[in-house]
Amino acid sequence: MDTPPFLRMSGVRKRYGGVTALAGADFEAEAGTVHAVLGPNGSGKSTLLKVLTGVVAPDAGEVLLEGRRLRPRGPRDTLAAGVSAVYQELSLIEEFSVLDNLVLGVEPTRFGLRDTRAARARALPWLERFAPAFGGRVPADERAADLDPGERQIVEICKALVREPRVLVLDEATASLRRAQVDVLFEVVGELRERGVLILFITHRLAEILALCDRATVMRNGADVATVTVGETPERELVELMSGGTPRTPETDTGTTGTAAAGAGSAAPAGARTDASRVRPRAAAAAPGGEPAAAEPLLEVRDLSGDRVDGVSFQVRPGEVLGLGGLQGQGQSELMAILFGARRRSGGTVLLNGRPVHPRSPKQAVRAGFAYVPGNRGAQGLALGRPILENFALPSVGRRAGLGVALSRRREIAAARAVAERIGTRYGSLDDPVSTLSGGNQQKIVVGKWFPTEPVVVLMDDPAKGIDLRAKAEMFAVVAELAAAGAAVVLGASDDRELVEVCDRVLVLFEGRVVDEVSGDRLTEDTLIASSMHIAGRDTGTGHPEATSALPEPDRAPAPAAGTGTGGPAGAPGAADGPAPEPAPSDPGGRA
Amino acid sequence: MTVSTAPEQAPDQPERPDRPGAPARPPLARRLLRDPVVVSGALAVLLWVVAALYSPEFASWGQVVTLLTVASFLGVIAIGQTLVIIAGGEGIDLSVGATATLSAIVASRFMDGSNEGFVVAVLLALGACCVVGVVNAVGVLVFRVPPLVMTLGMIAVVTGFIRLYTGGRPEGSAAPLLRTLVTGDTVAGIPGVLWLWLGLAVLVVWLLRRTSFGWRLYAVGGNPTTAYLSGVNTTAVRFSAYVLSSLFAGVGGMLLLGYAQNVYTSLGTDYMLNSVAAAVIGGTALVGGVGGYLGTVIGAILLTVLDSLLRIMQIGGGEWGDAPRQIIYGVVLIIVLTAYGRQKRLRQ
Amino acid sequence: MTTPSRTEAPGAAAGAPPPPLLLRAGRSALSARMPTLAVAALLVVTVAASAVLQPNFFSAYSMTASFATFLPLATIAAAQTIIVLAGGIDLSLGTIVTLAAAVSVVLMDGDDARLPLALAAGLATGAACGLVNGLVVAGLRLQPIVATFATSSVFGGAALLVLPQPGGEASPALTETFRMVVALYVPVPAVLLVLLWAAWRLLRRHRFGQYLYAVGGGADAAYTSAVPVSAVRVFSYTAGGLVAALAGVALLADSGAGDPTLGTELTLGSIAALVIGGTRLRGGVGGVGGALVGAVVLSLIQGLVFFAGVPTDAREFVYGCIIIAAIALAGLLTARGARRPAHAGGPR
Repeated sequence: MDTPPFLRMSGVRKRYGGVTALAGADFEAEAGTVHAVLGPNGSGKSTLLKVLTGVVAPDAGEVLLEGRRLRPRGPRDTLAAGVSAVYQELSLIEEFSVLDNLVLGVEPTRFGLRDTRAARARALPWLERFAPAFGGRVPADERAADLDPGERQIVEICKALVREPRVLVLDEATASLRRAQVDVLFEVVGELRERGVLILFITHRLAEILALCDRATVMRNGADVATVTVGETPERELVELMSGGTPRTPETDTGTTGTAAAGAGSAAPAGARTDASRVRPRAAAAAPGGEPAAAEPLLEVRDLSGDRVDGVSFQVRPGEVLGLGGLQGQGQSELMAILFGARRRSGGTVLLNGRPVHPRSPKQAVRAGFAYVPGNRGAQGLALGRPILENFALPSVGRRAGLGVALSRRREIAAARAVAERIGTRYGSLDDPVSTLSGGNQQKIVVGKWFPTEPVVVLMDDPAKGIDLRAKAEMFAVVAELAAAGAAVVLGASDDRELVEVCDRVLVLFEGRVVDEVSGDRLTEDTLIASSMHIAGRDTGTGHPEATSALPEPDRAPAPAAGTGTGGPAGAPGAADGPAPEPAPSDPGGRA
Repeated sequence: MTVSTAPEQAPDQPERPDRPGAPARPPLARRLLRDPVVVSGALAVLLWVVAALYSPEFASWGQVVTLLTVASFLGVIAIGQTLVIIAGGEGIDLSVGATATLSAIVASRFMDGSNEGFVVAVLLALGACCVVGVVNAVGVLVFRVPPLVMTLGMIAVVTGFIRLYTGGRPEGSAAPLLRTLVTGDTVAGIPGVLWLWLGLAVLVVWLLRRTSFGWRLYAVGGNPTTAYLSGVNTTAVRFSAYVLSSLFAGVGGMLLLGYAQNVYTSLGTDYMLNSVAAAVIGGTALVGGVGGYLGTVIGAILLTVLDSLLRIMQIGGGEWGDAPRQIIYGVVLIIVLTAYGRQKRLRQ
Repeated sequence: MTTPSRTEAPGAAAGAPPPPLLLRAGRSALSARMPTLAVAALLVVTVAASAVLQPNFFSAYSMTASFATFLPLATIAAAQTIIVLAGGIDLSLGTIVTLAAAVSVVLMDGDDARLPLALAAGLATGAACGLVNGLVVAGLRLQPIVATFATSSVFGGAALLVLPQPGGEASPALTETFRMVVALYVPVPAVLLVLLWAAWRLLRRHRFGQYLYAVGGGADAAYTSAVPVSAVRVFSYTAGGLVAALAGVALLADSGAGDPTLGTELTLGSIAALVIGGTRLRGGVGGVGGALVGAVVLSLIQGLVFFAGVPTDAREFVYGCIIIAAIALAGLLTARGARRPAHAGGPR
């Protein structure tokens, strides 16, 4: 091609402290296309796009837009050049009205003052265009803080569009959207493409890539690996590229890692999977010569209610791993938080070893024998600036202290080392801040810090979110170990495959209630997907976006095959009959 | 454990490559240059050398002891300040100055120049301070008033109470015992107050580094949500920090009483912001969860050396009065803070 | 099936229609207006109490005297609010007031002819001091509390240089105008107060008025939205300095002489006034209007304590307690956004 590409980024490098985020990435994209940027978490795709938008200053490399070099000193410059972005972490001012947020930074003025009428004229059309995504209303004068996460995300998108970009960056913009919202977004993206706008699209959802994108660039370890034309690339190849390109053959060197990956990629018909493909044998097989059902339940929950949790009952036996499945945001996280005393319980009883417990704070819960691995590592699980040693010690520090106060550094180090060894954490020095570790190693600390408290009930909220496959496998080995030691494990996961691999039973939640319990041979990804969407049969056929993406749209769930105009090839229900070559797109980052 | 944790070191980057092995640590020399304790300590020594060159008697043993004695008041009052700031949540205690005054006034009235009421006076003074601390803590933790505003308001209340209590004319004077402790030399030519400061410093450093309370305090300051979800009673930890702050302010106030012998109503006023400055210069960041008492000690000494240096330079040519000293003091403070006390950049 | 409420998971609300638009907008507006309503109620209560306790409260003379006392505090509270809204805080404002007043009074020296020049110089001084603060905070990225404490030492020293002792003579035209009553009932200070508010409304309509809130509400979000964050911060401190200089002029006009030692008291008063006025100390919420009312309320309470027959020695204490109560009340109302440390298990 003679003409230079519309957008070209070359040799982009960026380091954060000791961590390389971008190692000389190259990237090209043409106007009037939807270009996906794919890769496992930590592959540097977000950083690459932040360099483009000027939020991150690269250490090296250049950005050319229409052949002209872009040297932004900040987002103001890139915005002037026509680049506007929708970020993963939202950029709305909570206290501002939606309208004020939309025009923030580009307020029209008259006589030097803000012209609210012109602002309205400029922003309102976009809000009206997205009205179906707001349930039919136009929330121009509502406070951003009063909107729900999906609506805020839509406002965020409108905000980028109000700036009339030539390049629109959508960084995981669909992650918190409902189906109807995604539909509107895709329509608008289609219109923008017609108008010659370049749309850069980061997502983990295969269905969206197939439905929307023309080209796809795959990133790994801070560099680009391949750029492909979506229509010409077999879906399976795309999946492999997305999942970090891990060969889908058992790895013999890392033990459980291999089985985890193999279990995921197994071409065996769903349901026929053997225990060999699992991270751990099911409790039924593990219990030596006895029906585990006979064992007394360690944790019994009766009719538990609270915010977003509505009359949940279940039992967990010692050594059992109970999964919480369903679409995301159906009360799984809240259920665990309530059990842990971090959220208020409005009704129901919890029995631990037959005795009722009612922790009103995490402190009481820890004392009763609970442990909790929260869903957001950085915000809830770790004190990032503090040393690894202190993070390890935090829940149990009082137990090792002489007279309840005096600590021995040697004893603390020994305790931390013991745990670190058990869960395979790699670190430089225990005195380094936890923030210097990689995501996987950080997550191991969030889990490992509970070991010294010898918990009997372990609540884990998506412990494998945002960590790579190897760390994920190690994480689940830890879960297995906890269960083997006789603890009752309650595991929420955003990836159904994880639930199938690790859990003995899975409760499917919908709107805070248990709608299904899946165990034994029924415990397959397909059942879970079907169950979470209230459909009886299996619909996860090749190239069928609706089911694999698991977009939460219960209303339309009974007939997903009808398609909803997102452009995906209409899925043939018959696909369910044959062996499924690919159960679900690998989703190392979780859906969050 | 090191007290240094540069804020820039932790870009909250959700995505980072998962790589085996930990990243290499920065070289030692750079770490030392970034370490507030090292920087402040070096600067304090430098200022002292300058002062000694300017006026040789500054280097005399007696002058050094006096200097440290003066620094000890700030150092003791800043103990609590350091704890409160480490506990995070925009934590700060501006009422330490007023509390120190209160303590001195209560103590002086009950001592009244004799040793008989010494113990009672100390206990009563500390009790009064304890009340101030509890009120601060309740306001901040229960009523959710921002700490800056709450402790600011407490200044008005405490000052008002002092006025009510004394009728505007503070009475009594320090017990001879207290006077001897602060000014008389007791052991090895070093006044008791310095031994006391040393003891308190060791105690506080131990408290922060080697007790479960200290580790929890850092965790609460570093990330309150994490601490809470790890079973730490965050409210109790912060509560104790505010009460301890007032108690140490009270101890500092009594030492001031011993030094000044008599009380006046503005005795502790200067310590309000200087205690914050001492902690921040020593590397305790106002965001919480970072820092330590060793830095505060150095910070207190640095501020005192600076102040004394500026004072001796005035000797002989004092036609401008206090003014140039104040100006230079402020400028040096900014320079010191610029060396490392900076917040993260907007652009990464 | 339970009726899905708005707070439920995104997927949950799909089946049911959202609550009526009007209701949502109404609830939204009400929650945003809560602090304003509270401070308005406080104003009504204090005015009513003053009218009852204070004879001739509504007489022309008394009104003039009252507004003359309100104005300096209200003005400096307005200055502080501009800075706090943008997420900063300025502990040097009090010294800027005194420095600006000192510069003005020295230049005018009791001569009406020199009044314009002197006023211009005073205002320029204030703006320059604010600019210095802005550059130190936004440019050097120092923590505002410590940085402005350091600059307050510099400005305070400068004020002492300019005017070593309380004194100087304001121009008669200035003091006389200040005491005038326009249109039989409205004193000049009241007019100035309204002008100040009008100027704020004008700023609020300007881009930068909006940017103050954006930067205070979320600096990172504002930055990615192409708001010139550093420029806004510098602007907020400069504007604050300028308005503080106005307060200095008002003080000068009220007392007729300069005083270089007022400093800290004014700063503390300004923070209390803005918090009572419903401005969030973390920034992004509130407004100058509330701060003006807050300052009026504070002044009225001071008068009330006097007229309620509280014994002289107890006045300060009672005043302090009332302020703490008012602040706690305001804190409870503005702390809507501040959640418990744990919001565990939120949407993933």
